[in-house]
Amino acid sequence: MSTIENTSRRRVQNYERERKASTKRGRRKINFSLLNIGKGIDMPFILLIFVLLAIGITMMFSASYPVAYYEIGDSYYYLKRQLLFAAIGLVIMVAVSFVDYHYYHRFAAVILGVSYFALLLVLVLPSQEGGVHRWIGFGAFGIQASEISKFAIILFMAHWGSRYYDRMGTLKYGVLPGAAVFLSTAILLLFEPHYSCIVIIGILTVVMMFVSGIKIKWLAIGAGVLAALILLLWATGMLTYAMERMDGWGQALNEDLDRDMWNSTWQTRNSLYAIGSGGLFGLGLGQSRQKYLYLPEPQNDFIFAIVCEELGLVGAVIILMIFALLVWRGVIISLRARDRFGKLLGIGLTTHIGLQVVLNILVITDWLPNTGISLPFFSYGGSSLLSLMFEMGVILAVSRTSNIEKS
Amino acid sequence: MGANQKLRRRTVWLLIVILAVGFGAVITRLAFLQLVQGEELQRRAVEQQLADTPISAKRGTIYDTNGKILAQSASVWRVVMAPANFDSGEEGDEQRAYVAKRLAEILSLDEEELLEDTKQNTYYVSVKRRIESTEKDQIIELQNELGEKYQKAGVISLLDDYKRYYPYSDLASSVIGFTGSEDQGLWGVEYQYNDYLAGTPGRIISAQNGISTEMPFDYNQNIGAIDGSSLVLTIDETVQSIVEKYMKQGVIDNDVHERGVCIVMDVNTGEILAMASVNGFDLNDPFTINEDQKKEVDAIDVEYLIKHDYIEEDKDPYKLSETEKNELISKAKAEAESAALARNWRNKAISDTYYPGSVFKMVTLSMALQEGVVNSSSRFGCSGAYQLYEDTIHCHNTAGHGTQTYQECLYNSCNPGFIQIGQLVGKTKFWEYYQAFGFSDKTGIDLPGESDDQFFVHDGVEGNMLDTDLAVASFGQNFSITPIQMITAASAVANGGKIVQPHVVKQILDSEGNVVKNTSTETKRQVISESVSKEMCQILEENATTGSGKNGYVAGYRVGGKTGTSEKLIDVNDDGADDYIASFCGFAPANNPQYAALVFFDAPLGGNYYGSAVAAPVFASIMSEVLPYLEVVAQYTDEEMSNIDAAAGSYTGMSVEDAVTAVEGDGFYATVKGEGSTVLSQNPMTGAAIPSGGTIVLYTDDSSTAEKVTVPNLIGYGPSEVNEIAAYSGLNVSVTGTVSSSDSVSIGQSVAEGTEVSPGTVITVTFSGNSIAD
Repeated sequence: MSTIENTSRRRVQNYERERKASTKRGRRKINFSLLNIGKGIDMPFILLIFVLLAIGITMMFSASYPVAYYEIGDSYYYLKRQLLFAAIGLVIMVAVSFVDYHYYHRFAAVILGVSYFALLLVLVLPSQEGGVHRWIGFGAFGIQASEISKFAIILFMAHWGSRYYDRMGTLKYGVLPGAAVFLSTAILLLFEPHYSCIVIIGILTVVMMFVSGIKIKWLAIGAGVLAALILLLWATGMLTYAMERMDGWGQALNEDLDRDMWNSTWQTRNSLYAIGSGGLFGLGLGQSRQKYLYLPEPQNDFIFAIVCEELGLVGAVIILMIFALLVWRGVIISLRARDRFGKLLGIGLTTHIGLQVVLNILVITDWLPNTGISLPFFSYGGSSLLSLMFEMGVILAVSRTSNIEKS
Repeated sequence: MGANQKLRRRTVWLLIVILAVGFGAVITRLAFLQLVQGEELQRRAVEQQLADTPISAKRGTIYDTNGKILAQSASVWRVVMAPANFDSGEEGDEQRAYVAKRLAEILSLDEEELLEDTKQNTYYVSVKRRIESTEKDQIIELQNELGEKYQKAGVISLLDDYKRYYPYSDLASSVIGFTGSEDQGLWGVEYQYNDYLAGTPGRIISAQNGISTEMPFDYNQNIGAIDGSSLVLTIDETVQSIVEKYMKQGVIDNDVHERGVCIVMDVNTGEILAMASVNGFDLNDPFTINEDQKKEVDAIDVEYLIKHDYIEEDKDPYKLSETEKNELISKAKAEAESAALARNWRNKAISDTYYPGSVFKMVTLSMALQEGVVNSSSRFGCSGAYQLYEDTIHCHNTAGHGTQTYQECLYNSCNPGFIQIGQLVGKTKFWEYYQAFGFSDKTGIDLPGESDDQFFVHDGVEGNMLDTDLAVASFGQNFSITPIQMITAASAVANGGKIVQPHVVKQILDSEGNVVKNTSTETKRQVISESVSKEMCQILEENATTGSGKNGYVAGYRVGGKTGTSEKLIDVNDDGADDYIASFCGFAPANNPQYAALVFFDAPLGGNYYGSAVAAPVFASIMSEVLPYLEVVAQYTDEEMSNIDAAAGSYTGMSVEDAVTAVEGDGFYATVKGEGSTVLSQNPMTGAAIPSGGTIVLYTDDSSTAEKVTVPNLIGYGPSEVNEIAAYSGLNVSVTGTVSSSDSVSIGQSVAEGTEVSPGTVITVTFSGNSIAD
């Protein structure tokens, strides 16, 4: 039983701690008592995460059970594993949400170093299916080196942008570091190869620069260089060649496709069939036909095609709206963060989620080549789900100190 | 502007871009795919999902008019493979090789091709259609083996399939037609009514059988096959059989080179009771040529190559290299074989065009009567030839027919007479009637392959005739029509002037046997008046009784008809002489026509080529069986009554007096042999057919049975003389053949002259008309 005295004393102590945390390099101590799990955390954001995770796992199960049955002999194979990953992911998320994000500020350079090390390590490790070097194995689990890279670059850009916020208008501080980090990472990714990740990292770097306050003219120049490069490729005919080589991109519905193009367009073609079959209201939950061995690996990158087939345009738009709300809430959390580093970190991670969603759907609808971009909360896979939950945890950590009304 | 403000502003911009541009684009794209392209994508998705396992629909049955089955589909099986279910890697290669090897053994297919099939990444490859139950059992065995060895029982599966059987093999072959490898109709009614017969194949969506039957969840997306509708034809199997029997005999007897045609049609409804192009082909094996044709094809040699221009002009046919020669010979053989197949399949009754010849005179005379340009006082002279400008047109009777009435012109089948009748009709009216009788259009019979007529064209105008055209057209030369057009026109002449629609399908029944569609009689137009039709019937009846058509007479029936002999202007057998088509078109009964028949022999080379000698007797034979079968009431003349056979009764065991009374009561005469008081035996035996008024010998003791009589010569006499001679010898005569008029002559007897037989024995005597006319 606490007395008024005790209560007021604790309040004073709390205030003192908070004051110290904000002055002493922005750090503060957090009570790790279980009773304090929800304290300071942004409830709308975590609610959206739970909703997406619930819908995502349900749809992953629906999409995966024929494949699981036919190929593995256990309809629940993917569900059981994904549930396990989700449970671990939630624990990680909550745990990470307690970690003062300012630690990352200190270790940004170190984490970037780890990212480079991981990118080099995968190149010497044995290759995976398709001859790519992407995974680092930890026993039964593995992680994609690029997952580390994405987080490391967001973190580094946030770190840099907050530390030298007053010099971001210059070329030396505003543009060159980001460009250097991006290009070096991109070159390593070229060896894997992992083109979609280069695109994502490129966009994230530019976004971070933009938000950090670099001069628009640099962005314009960058865009000009990119346009000139594309024009050059197009003029020499290499772009067309590259597009043709890109797994039959854009040709999925071509009726008289060469036989050797069949395999590469098969997944996209069946993805489009699935999406189109859904119509406005879909065939109903569990009623997809395309998941019956037509659409290969429906539980992975192309899961949203099955979502579209079963839930229709209405269901797809509702899910996209929830994603949009998540992005919106993530941005709100970030803008209200206590310091510039928190703001930039939150914006970077939120953008990453939004970007994955948009790019994933552009791939399954054949507007982008089929290059392996997973859909957050939906696609099957331990490493991507765990790194996603980790990032959610970081955003939640930011939310604990941000100035938004706590429910 | 502070750094924080800038960040806030730029973040808002970023949010707008992500949400508006990114999510906006995504939603737009999805809406486009799901709403605009949705239908097309869904169609393609469904197509892909459904294409996996079709369920064959059972093709409808084809019945004859009395419900006898002419074509039927029986259950067999189709073997399909889901090669995508093979494992990958070495295990998979082993499985593929094993499956290819075993399937090749069981189904006698090429192992290499099968191996290629097993490498496809699909869940549906059709391996073989229409396997029988022995092969099916072996496939089930293979499934079990695969299940035990590799747990891959679902790679091979069996689906229902159907095979077409034609119980009467070559009967009405060109009418019924046949189906192809995919069960699609290729010819005849099978082709014409394919949409009705085929039904709608069903589908099973892949998931259900993409793997095996042991699915934990029922996908329940079966679309059942809808079996095809059945057809009831107007063809009567019995009539068709009678027709084909006599037509085949006629082809043999007259050494017919280009097959024969017979159509039997109901003149009032247009129903085709029989349509034969003999010889046809075996419907169960339509792609095989017959033995004679095979021999001809096998006999192809260098001479044949030279004759048929297979060798280039600058080459010496005898100095060809062995490979060149063999190449040309195999090419010639292949072409000869496909030509022979096409010939066998051809439905000559509707595809051939020919000069109708004198049969057409019934049409010309109908026009003249309808127009009123001839009457009882009209006279037409014939000196054996007719001079028209520079052309001389000969009559078949070169001595000339003298002065004739229009009826006599037809009885004599006089060409000069008909030239004059044609001139009275005139070119314009002739063309109008030609069209009205339906010669200028296809009849529209429900069979594939009907040809168009070829009438005179001058200055690009069809029907624009010259004087010479009219002259020869009057007796049916120099324009071509199809047999079906001719019999349709003849039916109009007989039925009171109505052009009816000929058809071969009477009813369409759904798979449960309910009537979907009934073909009703369709009268296209009235072309001549009923009174003209009536008069034509009388004239044609008279013609078939005493005139040029008398070989077509059928005892007991009032038959009307007209013979025809037309030049083909093609020398089919290279003997240097033109070949002919002998035809006869008639109907019965003449006082109330019901059935018409057209008999047509293309290029008879047996010496006789006149319609009266070749076609008319076959017509008579066919009608003499068909008309009683169709229950047309016989109307015998008195003379014929005497020739009607009756069955002898049983008189044995009676007293002589009673027996004689009984014999006379049955319409016979009794001759008693021996001294006994009781009849011990009789000749002819009980039940034997003897002519009414014939003699029955009754034996009263044993000695009398040994008594014999010698058979006299009965050939070369008229009917009454034959009866007299036979009666004198104590023999009975049964009459067959044409016994229509005074000039019938016996041409055969069943028991040879000089044979010893018991008194009263029945001898069958065959009669034939003796004069040969056009």
